[in-house]
Amino acid sequence: MAYSVHGPKAVSGGAGARLRRGEAFYLVEIVRGMAITMRHLLYNMFHSSTMPTLEYPDERPEHGPWLRGRHRLMKREDGSPRCVACQMCATICPADCISILAQDDDRPDVEKSPESFEINLLRCVYCGMCVEACPCDAIRMDTGIFELAADSREAFIVDREFLLNNTTDGVNR
Amino acid sequence: MNEMLTELGYTLGKIGFMLAVILGLLPAMIWAERKGAAYMQDRIGPNRASIGGIFRMGGLVHPIADVLKLVFKEDIVPAGVNRFFYHLAPFLVMVIALTTFAVIPFGDALYLGDKVIKLQVADLNVGVLYILAMTSLSVYGIVLAGWASNNKYSFLGGIRATSQMISYELNMGLAVMSLILATGTVRMDEMVQFQGHLLFGFLPAWGVVVQPLGFILFLVALFAETNRNPFDLPEGESELVSGYHTEYSSLKFALFFMAEYANMIVGAAIVSTLFFGGWQVPWLSTDLLRAHAGPLLTGSAIGATVLSFVFTAATWRHYERFRGRLGDRRELEPLILGILFFALGLATLGYVVFQKPWTIDSAMAAHFATVAQIGSFLLKTVFFAWLFIWVRWTLPRFRYDQLMRLGWTTMLPLALLNFFVTAGVVLLVNS
Amino acid sequence: MAKIIVDGKEHECEEGQNLFQAIKAAKGRPLPHFCYHPALPVAGVCRMCQVEIEGVPRPVIACNAQVKDGMEVRTETDRIADVVQQILNFHLLHHPVDCPVCDQAGECALQDQYMNYGLYEASVDVEDKIHKDKVKPIGELVMLDAERCVLCARCTRFTSEITKTHEMGIFNRGNHAEIDVAPGRTLDNNYSLNTVDLCPVGALTSRDFRFKRRVWWLENTPSVCAGCATGCNMTIDHSEGTVYRCRPRPNVEVNSYWMCDEGRLLYHRLHDEDRLRTPVVAAEEGPRTVDWDEAYARVQSLLTADGGETRRVAVIASAHATVEELHALGRFADGIGAAKIGYRLEGSEMGEADDLLVSADRTPNAEGARRLGWSQFLGEELRAQASSDTVLLVLKNDFAAFDENGVDLLSAYAGVVVLGTHQDATMDLADVGLPVLSYAESDGLFVNEKGRAQELHASIAGPESARHAVVVLAELGRLLGKEFGWEDPAALRRDLVATEAGWGALATGIDRTGVLLDVVSDGAAIGAESGSEGGGE
Repeated sequence: MAYSVHGPKAVSGGAGARLRRGEAFYLVEIVRGMAITMRHLLYNMFHSSTMPTLEYPDERPEHGPWLRGRHRLMKREDGSPRCVACQMCATICPADCISILAQDDDRPDVEKSPESFEINLLRCVYCGMCVEACPCDAIRMDTGIFELAADSREAFIVDREFLLNNTTDGVNR
Repeated sequence: MNEMLTELGYTLGKIGFMLAVILGLLPAMIWAERKGAAYMQDRIGPNRASIGGIFRMGGLVHPIADVLKLVFKEDIVPAGVNRFFYHLAPFLVMVIALTTFAVIPFGDALYLGDKVIKLQVADLNVGVLYILAMTSLSVYGIVLAGWASNNKYSFLGGIRATSQMISYELNMGLAVMSLILATGTVRMDEMVQFQGHLLFGFLPAWGVVVQPLGFILFLVALFAETNRNPFDLPEGESELVSGYHTEYSSLKFALFFMAEYANMIVGAAIVSTLFFGGWQVPWLSTDLLRAHAGPLLTGSAIGATVLSFVFTAATWRHYERFRGRLGDRRELEPLILGILFFALGLATLGYVVFQKPWTIDSAMAAHFATVAQIGSFLLKTVFFAWLFIWVRWTLPRFRYDQLMRLGWTTMLPLALLNFFVTAGVVLLVNS
Repeated sequence: MAKIIVDGKEHECEEGQNLFQAIKAAKGRPLPHFCYHPALPVAGVCRMCQVEIEGVPRPVIACNAQVKDGMEVRTETDRIADVVQQILNFHLLHHPVDCPVCDQAGECALQDQYMNYGLYEASVDVEDKIHKDKVKPIGELVMLDAERCVLCARCTRFTSEITKTHEMGIFNRGNHAEIDVAPGRTLDNNYSLNTVDLCPVGALTSRDFRFKRRVWWLENTPSVCAGCATGCNMTIDHSEGTVYRCRPRPNVEVNSYWMCDEGRLLYHRLHDEDRLRTPVVAAEEGPRTVDWDEAYARVQSLLTADGGETRRVAVIASAHATVEELHALGRFADGIGAAKIGYRLEGSEMGEADDLLVSADRTPNAEGARRLGWSQFLGEELRAQASSDTVLLVLKNDFAAFDENGVDLLSAYAGVVVLGTHQDATMDLADVGLPVLSYAESDGLFVNEKGRAQELHASIAGPESARHAVVVLAELGRLLGKEFGWEDPAALRRDLVATEAGWGALATGIDRTGVLLDVVSDGAAIGAESGSEGGGE
């Protein structure tokens, strides 16, 4: 407690933080601290492969199927979106990042389909509520893509075609 | 006339050597700081920047990339700065850091025929005082930067630097005074010569041996003077953004950044000169070095050969182990480095076998002694530069009041005590 | 008077009153129902409004029962809940459950009742359900989806009892029963969209509103239709600055529960291409877009004669303007000594009346204009005032569209300043056109042909640089060195109540059904009567 202005109580930790007799001299403790850091340094120099660091673009983190990655739109068998533009996802979305324009669809078994389906990935909070809300299993967040990079804000507003073909392996199951 | 020109040439050569040492060590220091910090914290540290997509050199390319980045960044001059001092400050800091080196001898006098070349840029009679003066001056750059930036954080940083300087300069001066008392000289080269003696026949008379307390006081004060952790309050980012250089960008920031490391290198050189025998190779005086040049050189060459082959084996093992892990050209790096090490090993081996270094003549022996001394000096310097880094990543930063109390209530009495005790001992011994 | 006991609580009501209504009044909320509608004859087909009556062994439907003194009714017993749930199960048995694509979702009685009384496990797989016509346009504006229908017969009752056009009916039997238009017929009367409102489920949906917007995103603003002098009460459904649909708002005094298709679709005009969005001034190549300062500068120069003195002003009012705007124009004219010409060309803006709602007078506020002392016809006056020393100020009036001589008439004036909402025929002839807010974008009053003052409320914001007409008039007054001191329609209404005779009924405020104004026995009020009668021919 050699250097407290207001006495022992002012220092967080109270009486327990009091320096012991030898510690107040600092130098021994400093040398001990330096021994610790040097031990780490030397150990890591010869065991660099056991370091917990993940060398990110070369190594990729493993993730479970619960990871909510970038959204994708599911397709029907004919390749058109499964989405019926019911706006459930846009309604539930807490970030207000989904905007859908509905259109009449001429196909006999499809009454309504999205004319446009846009997600603003910058606004999205990746909560996954759209997936929960979707009555048609048309939107999923199982692509595993968690990286967001583009060189303009506009590029983050992704459209229907992008979302339909948005997978890591190119296969939209 | 011709004489003067040669003299000038030698001086320029020595200045060049000095600059090469500092500026060459700079990127290595930055690398060591980043990589060392990483390894101490169980991280990998910088290893991304590469040359040609192959050579990453364990992160050594990063300082180059850093400098390139800083050079090409926009140089912002904030509104309301005092332009003259704002622009002057970073140059002042850098120039003072570099000029301090001038009085430091990096080798014993070299005899070329009848010519004597002192391996020291400026052979001042009052070298130690020059060093004290220059280290005091170095705070001016920081204070000017803080004041001219027109930013309260910068200003606080400058003020802190000033008061810190005043508090610790005293201790530094007293520690050096004790050393002067012990060595009896203020000339740098004589101080180094003094440290070449052996005490009691086996102990080198290094400053640290004759002045252990003085050394500790000096080292702590030096940390404070160079604004390095645990005394980096002038740029304490947790409270002052980044202190005196908050408002600096691009090359001017780079100058501050480099000056910090230049200061460290110079500080390390000063410590090793004053307290660790400078260029002295322990137990091997210049004469001994020259006399036993042959065996020493042979030993060194064989050592280099063995080291090269060890490195070759290590890089090869690395290559084997990581082949296919990255899947691009970066995998070739250990292979190429291994080939280079192997070639180096072959070259030194060839040197030992064919040149027969144990048979060198006396002129070559003199050169060998100088090179060995310079190497000794550089080794000590690098160690102390590394000490700066080591300490930084071990210790937390002082609180300001702790800093002041340490300076005035602990170190100053100790320094005075040390001074008087030394004076008494010197009186006793001399009488 | 009769006393009934509903769920243990006594309630006063009329002997012989419809029990459904009595229970609704007693409980403050209606019983679950699909088919019951107060304006339609009782059908009793949906069986949802089951109640237990003391002394009657089985539950009965409330909509088909009458109040008897001392009747004891229970609506919330376990038995009723069970019965209602089973009936709902029947209704939903063959329902396609395509809520995601259904426009009714969000305002669907089936959804509400299921959440309140259903919540059972479905007993029929979607694949096993009976399929009927889907996505079948049965009229210009109505889309049929027979699968979603619960056969409440509201639409058929409407077409047979209210419009008496008999286009719709229920065909086939049992599980295969479905609604449709009669063979060879289409649902194309002027009230067809009322069937969409009536339909409690998604069987009939509006083709105009189809897939435009989910209903839970719509904001509702009570307003009044501007299509004719009837002044049907309506709700403007809008979202993010766009009006998506208009629906009738019940007002037994005016429009009951109905509204004509024509009036409903008027909102499209608000977002038309030719909406005036910024001030314009006449230029050689046509109207040129300018900002307000420049437009006012142009007005200033029009008002200034060559000699430097201020020109005379003549104003034309409009039966499309609100009462506040007309009052502001009147005070403006009186304040600067302008001639007040009138609000309509003879015979113009009159159409066919029908015997349900549509009035022959296709302006919403002719009665209001009359009561404010504006003369009805402007033709003669317009010619009389025409001189190169007079600037004509027109408020929301497109009279040039009804008079082929318009060009000649207007060119005789020194200048024409038009406050309007669209780039219409009169605006084309204007020297300066100033964009003002329309009926859907401003608060105000319309007085219908029967003298009922009804309130408009601002729903959407309108074009960005459009201003309220009374604000523009105040600013024009300032140009002429006259400070009027009103800043919004509310101030003008207070002024109107305080200064003009015949508006005292407004002093106590207006509820949602409007206020019937006092009959004024001067010439203006008589003119109003003759006007509406003349239109009814």
